Amino acid sequence: MFDALGASTSWLAIAPEIVLLLAAVVVLAYDIVAKPDNHDVHAAVAIVGIGGAAAFTWAQWRSDLVGQEFFLNMARLDGLSIVVRFLLVAVLGLATVAAWPLLRELGRRGAEMLALMFIATIGFSFLASSGNLVMMFIGLEIGSISLYVLAGITRERRLADEAAMKYFLLGSFASAIFLYGVALFFAGTGSLFLVALPSALASVVFTKPGVILVALGLMAAGLLFKVTAAPFHAWAPDVYQGAPAGVVGFMAAAAKIGGFAALARIVWEAYGPFLDDWQAPLAGIAAISIVVGTLLAIAQSDIRRMLAYSGIAHAGFILIGIATGPASRYAVSFYLAVYTIQLVAAFTVAATVSGPGSSGSAREEYVGLARRAPLLAATLGLMMLAMSGMPVTAGFVAKFGVFREGWIGGLEWLVILALVASVAAFFFYLRVIVDMYFREPVETPGTPKAAPQAPPSVRWMLAIISVATIVLGIYARPLLDFLEASL
Amino acid sequence: MGFPLLAALIVTPIVGAAAVAIVPAARKELHLPIGVAVSLLPIALAGLLFAEFEPSANFQFVEFAAWYPEWGINWHVGVDGIAMPLILLTTLLIPISLAASVAITDRIKLFVIMVLMLEAGLIGVFVSLDLIVFFVFFEAILIPMYFIIGIWGSEDRIYAAIKFFLYTAFGSALMLAGIIALGALSAEQTGVWSFDYLDLLDLELTRQTQGWLFAGFAVAFAIKVPIFPVHTWLPDAHVQAPTAGSVILAGVMLKLGTYGFLRFNLPLFPQATVDAIPIMATLAVIGIVYGAVVAIVQPDLKKLVAYSSVSHLGFIVLGIFALTRAGLEGGVIQMINHGLTTGALFLLVGMIYERRHTKAIADFGGLAKIMPIFAGLFLFMAFASIGLPGLNGFVGEFLILIGSYATLPVYSIIAASGVVLAAIYLLWAYERVFTGEPTKEENKVLSDLNLREISLFVPLVVLIILLGLYPNILLDRISPSTDAVLERVAATSSYELPALDLSAGGE
Repeated sequence: MFDALGASTSWLAIAPEIVLLLAAVVVLAYDIVAKPDNHDVHAAVAIVGIGGAAAFTWAQWRSDLVGQEFFLNMARLDGLSIVVRFLLVAVLGLATVAAWPLLRELGRRGAEMLALMFIATIGFSFLASSGNLVMMFIGLEIGSISLYVLAGITRERRLADEAAMKYFLLGSFASAIFLYGVALFFAGTGSLFLVALPSALASVVFTKPGVILVALGLMAAGLLFKVTAAPFHAWAPDVYQGAPAGVVGFMAAAAKIGGFAALARIVWEAYGPFLDDWQAPLAGIAAISIVVGTLLAIAQSDIRRMLAYSGIAHAGFILIGIATGPASRYAVSFYLAVYTIQLVAAFTVAATVSGPGSSGSAREEYVGLARRAPLLAATLGLMMLAMSGMPVTAGFVAKFGVFREGWIGGLEWLVILALVASVAAFFFYLRVIVDMYFREPVETPGTPKAAPQAPPSVRWMLAIISVATIVLGIYARPLLDFLEASL
Repeated sequence: MGFPLLAALIVTPIVGAAAVAIVPAARKELHLPIGVAVSLLPIALAGLLFAEFEPSANFQFVEFAAWYPEWGINWHVGVDGIAMPLILLTTLLIPISLAASVAITDRIKLFVIMVLMLEAGLIGVFVSLDLIVFFVFFEAILIPMYFIIGIWGSEDRIYAAIKFFLYTAFGSALMLAGIIALGALSAEQTGVWSFDYLDLLDLELTRQTQGWLFAGFAVAFAIKVPIFPVHTWLPDAHVQAPTAGSVILAGVMLKLGTYGFLRFNLPLFPQATVDAIPIMATLAVIGIVYGAVVAIVQPDLKKLVAYSSVSHLGFIVLGIFALTRAGLEGGVIQMINHGLTTGALFLLVGMIYERRHTKAIADFGGLAKIMPIFAGLFLFMAFASIGLPGLNGFVGEFLILIGSYATLPVYSIIAASGVVLAAIYLLWAYERVFTGEPTKEENKVLSDLNLREISLFVPLVVLIILLGLYPNILLDRISPSTDAVLERVAATSSYELPALDLSAGGE
């Protein structure tokens, strides 16, 4: 059967996904067969799986296969797919460390959670590394369905159930809209490959066929849902608040990475010639996301809801870059990398303070945290400053890059709007610092007195992310150079 | 390129902060002394800077290193006669504010680290010759000051800290838009992105473009100064901040605004500067009179000093926008004078607050009999602030008034009333707090300043007298740079220099 694939077969093109799948299967099988009462083997398999996936992605990057397509053009190996794999594996690694307390708390169900995280990563990785719309849809669904289950993995908790149900219903709706867009794309071009559109345009005299643009609109709507852009954002705050704290960071980061990569691929690659048609609506969605996310985040009294709304604003910032066009691909990928890792770190602190399986992180829990847990408070404070785009953090370089591209691309109004919104955003980011550093537990009755405990692995992870955030804020050129060389 | 003195000035406080950070939190008694000790090193470096500084308009001690060259962002620093005195002032006020903070016991380690980081950032602002580097420092210093006000301030500290942060950050955002626009214009005109100050000076900007960019920068700096009507964050921040915070805020951070006008608005947007003279001069004069009148009626000593800053900074803005040699020189030297005297006044208010836990003028009376040294120092600083001849304030205000009289006579005359009003609010406050017989029992047990406290004022008093008697020690170094700014404005705009324009410094 594989002979038919002929020269286009290279297992290296999908090796990271195969390693992750094997790791997931081994974890599940071992858990069923051996019925272990600890998670040491799980940890070993996770390390091997993540390390192997990273190593194979590295090998892909160094290989001469870059720029080719494999398996009947279903798997693409290009700069975007490699950068996204690196990022997804990094997020998976950090999130696995962060999720370990939750995994212990879940006991025997921990193996399922670990396997689902691995499978979700596979799905989003396929989503980002294919030029075929059906393949992209399958990747999107593998990733999304894993996330729906992860949202409800602590099934005894009512809020987690509610979050999972809400996420599932609305998410399926979004996936269906995406699929409808794929169908219209097929109707308009007679092909499911993205490259078909530019060549179809070249061979046909008509321009701007309506059905093609409607297809783009539907596919974009489905993906904008996944990346929590307004007005497709309504599910995010409830899900981020209700889903178990230990895994929310991964859910948010993985969906955003996959969704943005796919969106960038579709609008830049297939719809590049239609820039005039999609730039204005996309910029409009960016503006709505920035304004809605920022304003609603101000009103939140739960840190995880606040992070959800701020994520809507961040989606808007990234959309500035996407709306500008492919020239901003370094800026967009840098922003995505910096932001998603900040997100994982922030949710890790929330999971430690509120408990790994908790639903909700009320602001009161953070009052005086700087005294009880200086490292957690310093990390969360730094992440807030980085998300707000404060200089000397990676967040500033990321924002500057996107704003600069937006300005060059003629979206000056959007950049100024984003700058003003960034100031308003200080209000809710700084409020977290106010709670942790400026307010005393004695002033607010009902705040916990005990210091939240994080295992050493989590402490190390947070310290490394914090140092990286500052180092990248001062000198990000190596990473920017890597992105420029790869993309 | 020899020894990177400016980088060393920025790095030394950061290394000092790291040194404080590794001292265990349990050794609480060590953090402040170590902090004071390491903050003396930048003074030595600044002394070297002063000694080696050539009185010319050129940027000196220049350092250049690639940072993000493809984006046109590079580490480009240097000082001229406008920045050099402000660096001296910064390095002087930091150890004094630290040494005055013995009353802080809660989280002293974090406090010392924050003050040292603040010092690094402030020096960074004054030396930056790349607009992005400048912005990074300009924005980054908000964080330590936010913590200083928010953790160690008084009752309403959280409100004051957030208000301070949001006001300034709003200004910075508009400035960042202006900076990005300048970079894009540079790319349009020269083909390469550049945020280098010296490159951007060569851009050809239309009158309308200049107007927009001037506005973006001016909002940022006007909030920082602060110019009426965006001054409302200042009384909150100054009053709520701990003594060290107030000293650094009033002494150095307000100067970032006036420095920004001189460094960026005037040379980069000369035509817009000339067009904006009526607005800026009007707001400056409103600030002078408004700040002084409001200061008169303040029942709180710290608020009184805070509002006096609004008035004094109005003088500096007027001097700058008078666009005369004397006005610009007076503006720069008045930045130093205000830093010395207002810093000292905030220190004094802080010391009486530590003893009596009140700053209300009505709670005092007859203190001169109980605390003669304190009273003497307060009177001395009040005279310096009012502008008594022989002390530093006189030099600055006199230069600003004659400088502005040449081009803005009406404004100058109204501004002169500010000098009289300053005498009213400061001397009336002195009368109510210090003269007469002690009326309140609580005040009779107050102790006068101890040796440590007195020693903090020695350098300030010496400099106030020195600059009052021999201002040319600074003016000779300031005037070439201010003249260069002025000549640039005159050469690149419709502005004509007044025929009769005195200069106090130089040849």
